[in-house]
Amino acid sequence: MILHFLTQAVFWFLVILTVGSAIVVVFNKRILHSAFALLFTLCGVAGLYVFLSADFLAASQMLVYVGGILTLIIFGVFLTARMYNMSIPEQTHQRFLALLPVLGLGGIIFYVLNSAEWHLITPMVAPTTENLGKMLLTTYLVPFEVASMLLLAALIGAIRLARPRKEDHDD
Amino acid sequence: MNYDYNLSAIAVPLILAAGSVLVLLTDVLLGKKAKDSAYQTTLTILALAGVFCFTRWGTGGSAFFGQVYTDGFTSFFNLAFLTVGFLVVLNSPNYLIRNGIDHGEYYMLILLALLGMTFMASAGDLLIFFLGLETMSICLYVLAGFHKSRAKSNESSLKYLLLGAFFTGFLLYGMALVYGQVGSTNLAEISNYLAEAANPLGGYMGIGLALLLIGLTFKMAVVPFHFWSPDVYDGAPTPVTAFMSTAPKAAAFAAALRIFYHPGIELGIPWENVLWVLAVLTMTVGNFAALAQTSVKRMLAYSSITHAGYLLVGFLASNELGASGMLFYLFMYGFMNVGAFTIAYLVNRRGKGNYNLSDFAQLGTKSPMLAALMSIFMLSLTGIPPLAGFFGKLYIFSAAVQEGYVWLVVIAVLNSAISVFYYLRVMVMMYMREGEDLADLEKAPTVAITAVICGLAILIFGLFPSPLLDLARASIIALL
Repeated sequence: MILHFLTQAVFWFLVILTVGSAIVVVFNKRILHSAFALLFTLCGVAGLYVFLSADFLAASQMLVYVGGILTLIIFGVFLTARMYNMSIPEQTHQRFLALLPVLGLGGIIFYVLNSAEWHLITPMVAPTTENLGKMLLTTYLVPFEVASMLLLAALIGAIRLARPRKEDHDD
Repeated sequence: MNYDYNLSAIAVPLILAAGSVLVLLTDVLLGKKAKDSAYQTTLTILALAGVFCFTRWGTGGSAFFGQVYTDGFTSFFNLAFLTVGFLVVLNSPNYLIRNGIDHGEYYMLILLALLGMTFMASAGDLLIFFLGLETMSICLYVLAGFHKSRAKSNESSLKYLLLGAFFTGFLLYGMALVYGQVGSTNLAEISNYLAEAANPLGGYMGIGLALLLIGLTFKMAVVPFHFWSPDVYDGAPTPVTAFMSTAPKAAAFAAALRIFYHPGIELGIPWENVLWVLAVLTMTVGNFAALAQTSVKRMLAYSSITHAGYLLVGFLASNELGASGMLFYLFMYGFMNVGAFTIAYLVNRRGKGNYNLSDFAQLGTKSPMLAALMSIFMLSLTGIPPLAGFFGKLYIFSAAVQEGYVWLVVIAVLNSAISVFYYLRVMVMMYMREGEDLADLEKAPTVAITAVICGLAILIFGLFPSPLLDLARASIIALL
């Protein structure tokens, strides 16, 4: 009983964290504040993945989005002098025209949610990482290794293009 | 679990992968003392990979749990990619040194691009195909912008990157839809699904495969997805242009053949009409744009769009002759285009470096050898017998006639007639025009050797096309 209550409490906490900080991302005027609010949104989504017992997805969400992309955004803001204090215009023009796609999209989402057959399954608490690891080194060994060559190409290419070196004459 | 790790099945990409790291290391360790160590290592690796490809010619079947196919089709395209790679690397140092961009990464990226292409041709799974395509594309984005100090090279790289990323979205979305419908990305599984489904293209399958095809036509530079190609080809360093206009195009067609000729995955009738229109548009738009060019480099860029149109005709025919004709044509097109770009680069040095058509004036008297080679390339691109380009077109067009695409072939032949104008204009320039007295040609033995190899290949396979065609036919059997 207490466990159930705790689970519910954590779930709703995560939902409010995710949606609430997402609202801050959209409505905040300072871009840096938005970026930090996005941090909480992404963490909240990772928490929801844990609830779906998708442990690997949750971990990669933290690594890729929080650790990688968000850091990139914040670095971008810091390094671009004028963006740091820039306030984003947030007046809405053409409110009525904007209402049409919003209602349309909202209607579609509501319809899909309403008409879908939801199957409630008993949650599996077994970690998925073991199977994923096995698959990556057996069935998907070749794609796994090709992906590493792709990253190598991207790394070397990025260094070649970004690194300043003395270059000479024209063709 | 059955054991399916047959490393010799992916011997060629393995050599390329190990080779790319080796090139990087030799450049770091020996680059200071021996300037061309990376160049020589690359040539050795490509030759080694070619030998492996030839001695271990694919016999069919798949490896790594159906992820890669090890048939003659794979081997044929591997050989084509390695040949183009070898020719391009062979003539590169001259350009790179002159422009001060002779860095080892260039060779490494070429090797990795080739690695991506080999996986595109051998993919038994959409995942492998996608990774191969991206490996190839990322290398090409960097290679296009390799001449950093030149604005046009940067423009070329950026345009290619932005549009390439956009079309990758189409491709990936198509794959996601196919996966959503089938529950697997394996080509064999997809064809099983199509065989059993009551309405094969129902659900998300039709739109998924269509998006997949759109992503591929971008890489082939088929009209209306061709807008990137003239600017990208024009701005990229010339050896890279020679590479980009041949090998990736062959890889895109290889992947299209692999996926859409896969037993069980066949094109539906509505798409045939779409492809018909695309083929006509591609041939015609490429041709008319090429007519108006004064720069040889841009002319060749537009002409490569036209050739994608001819290849689409073969793709539409979808019979044995058409498919083997495409393989023959793609192989020979590598020789023709690399040769033509090589000579364009050499001749361009005489003028002001703008690849102007007028730079070719009096080449016939100044350097009869180069003029003769350029004539071979131009005549072969036009499709004049007995050169290899003629037989490529002959096989493709007669295959299309067999399948009843008479009007398509009429349009294709008319287009070939139009293309005579701009290809022969180069020859008229070389032999008949008096021009201002331009500087002498520079001595560039490796560049000249490349051109000679290309010219000889076109002559030999033009006079004796049957061995290569038989090889192409044997390679295509696995698919049909």
